[in-house]
Amino acid sequence: MSGHGIRRGIATLVTLAVIAPTLSAQGNDPLAKLDSASRRVVQALIDSAKTEGLPDQPLVSKAQEGVSKHAAGPLIARVVRTVFLSLREARAVLGERANRDELTAGAAALQAGIPATAIIDLRQAGHGKSITVPLVVMADLVSRGVPRDTASRAILQLWMQGAGEADLMGLSQSVGQDILSGAAPADALLSRARKVPIRLPPAKVPE
Amino acid sequence: MFEPSKRNSAVLFLSLAMLAPQGGLRAQLTSRFQAGAVMSAAPGLVPANALSLTPDVRYDSPLLKLAARGSAWINGNAWQFADGEATATVSTPTRHHLAAQLVATASRAYYDQVNQNDQIDAEARVHLVFSQKAGMWLESGVARPWRVAVVSSVDVAGAGAWTQVGGATLTGTYTNFSFTRIASASDSTGTLQSCANQTSNSRCLQQSHFSDVQGTVHWEKAAVELNAQTGYRFGDANDVTPDSRRWAAASAIVWLSRDMAMVVGGGRQPANPARGLPARNYANLGVMFAAWPSMTEGAVPIESRASAISQFDIAAAGVSLERLQVHIAGVESVELMGDFTDWQPVDMVQRGRDLWEVLLPIAPGVHQLNVRVDGGKWQPPPNTPTMRDGFNGEVGVLVIHE
Repeated sequence: MSGHGIRRGIATLVTLAVIAPTLSAQGNDPLAKLDSASRRVVQALIDSAKTEGLPDQPLVSKAQEGVSKHAAGPLIARVVRTVFLSLREARAVLGERANRDELTAGAAALQAGIPATAIIDLRQAGHGKSITVPLVVMADLVSRGVPRDTASRAILQLWMQGAGEADLMGLSQSVGQDILSGAAPADALLSRARKVPIRLPPAKVPE
Repeated sequence: MFEPSKRNSAVLFLSLAMLAPQGGLRAQLTSRFQAGAVMSAAPGLVPANALSLTPDVRYDSPLLKLAARGSAWINGNAWQFADGEATATVSTPTRHHLAAQLVATASRAYYDQVNQNDQIDAEARVHLVFSQKAGMWLESGVARPWRVAVVSSVDVAGAGAWTQVGGATLTGTYTNFSFTRIASASDSTGTLQSCANQTSNSRCLQQSHFSDVQGTVHWEKAAVELNAQTGYRFGDANDVTPDSRRWAAASAIVWLSRDMAMVVGGGRQPANPARGLPARNYANLGVMFAAWPSMTEGAVPIESRASAISQFDIAAAGVSLERLQVHIAGVESVELMGDFTDWQPVDMVQRGRDLWEVLLPIAPGVHQLNVRVDGGKWQPPPNTPTMRDGFNGEVGVLVIHE
């Protein structure tokens, strides 16, 4: 190899060594595809979540979801901000003991319009049990068109009667099928909720 | 007007179709109404200079399909109920490349005042699906015609295979028919026929059986749909008339706009000895009005191969590994993405005619996901709780326990 060729080879290696970390960092950066203004907003929200001890992964994930669904940068920033505020509110409602899943589910329920008081009642009725699934089902029912108050009251009552997670997930499915078959959302929920078995010990069954 | 010696017929059929579909995510109710004019010069086949009205209603769901169709013809001044058919099909989901079907049909065939009868059929099929592109089936059934010279049930047994090559679907079938009919005790030369039972000096009960082998090609691209079929009938001269030994037919639909198409076709239709219907040649030319390719939102075209996802399953497949399965038939690709894939689409792998699968590491917790079919819209999988995604869509929610 000539001296000129060696120099060219060394220059290429040096160039690669310099730009490789930059390329690698871009490949790992979940926000790389956002425009600069939206990216600054999202990054600030992620930093705020970390500072406040909130899980930041839901924010990163929502930004990734928006990018994959080809949403506009400003919209992604707005949605991430909504998630951040919902997480903050969920933590205020559920308390410091709430785990990440409960916070995520609580944030989803709040975004769906479930009243904070209903979530507090659910927490108190749970006697320390995780309320992740009831919150998920509440949000699901509202997204299917069940009025918020009807959804929250029905799930709270079932939860107090000892309904298990499988009962609630099954309720969500059957209500969804009834709605697809043409039933009114509220009627479907109330009808199906009556069929969920009461699982409290006999002494605790309400009169 | 109808010469007995004439074999060829010409049918001019102008049809107007009005579609009034409605439906939901997993089941579709579609209806069609056709009105047209029919002319014929064939001997004793279809009424001449007739107008026809043909309503057609279908209900499709993953497990149950119902179809009903009928036609009324006005020939002169009187309306006449002509052809009609009602079919119910119950199908099982495909498991381990196998699926089963039960089909029940009640039908009425009408060629003219003489050649008309009714029949009920019951049939069972077992489908073996090799891949999305090929499969085969075995079938066995029984039919019972009325008002014909057949005094027993018609036993039907057969097999078929299909494959997709490019935009064409090739289908081959073999079907055997076996029945007892009332026949003349001697043939045209006076030779005594083989009789199962002599009913009189001139008539006897005769066992009949014949087999049809048929090949069909369906091809569609852009605004053109083509169908062609040809067949051959095996059987002795007592059961197979010369004019039904071979047959072929073809039709073409050319969509001039999304609502209107030209229809042209013609060919030879073999006799149906089990129903006493003679062979006939035919040709047709018509205009069809329909909403195609995109019908009213929420419905699909009657013969659409793409259907909604019928089922979504998730099950543990090892440490932190989950097996996600989607059941949907007649599609080219299924993708999935969620927070556990950093919202990067992942191709699902086809494991059967209607089964798509992917194995992914998913940590315990609450997760969100979407699936899409053939590059369409991202949707929450069925039977999962849903929530709004903020981007004018919805996501499904998974709760994975420790």
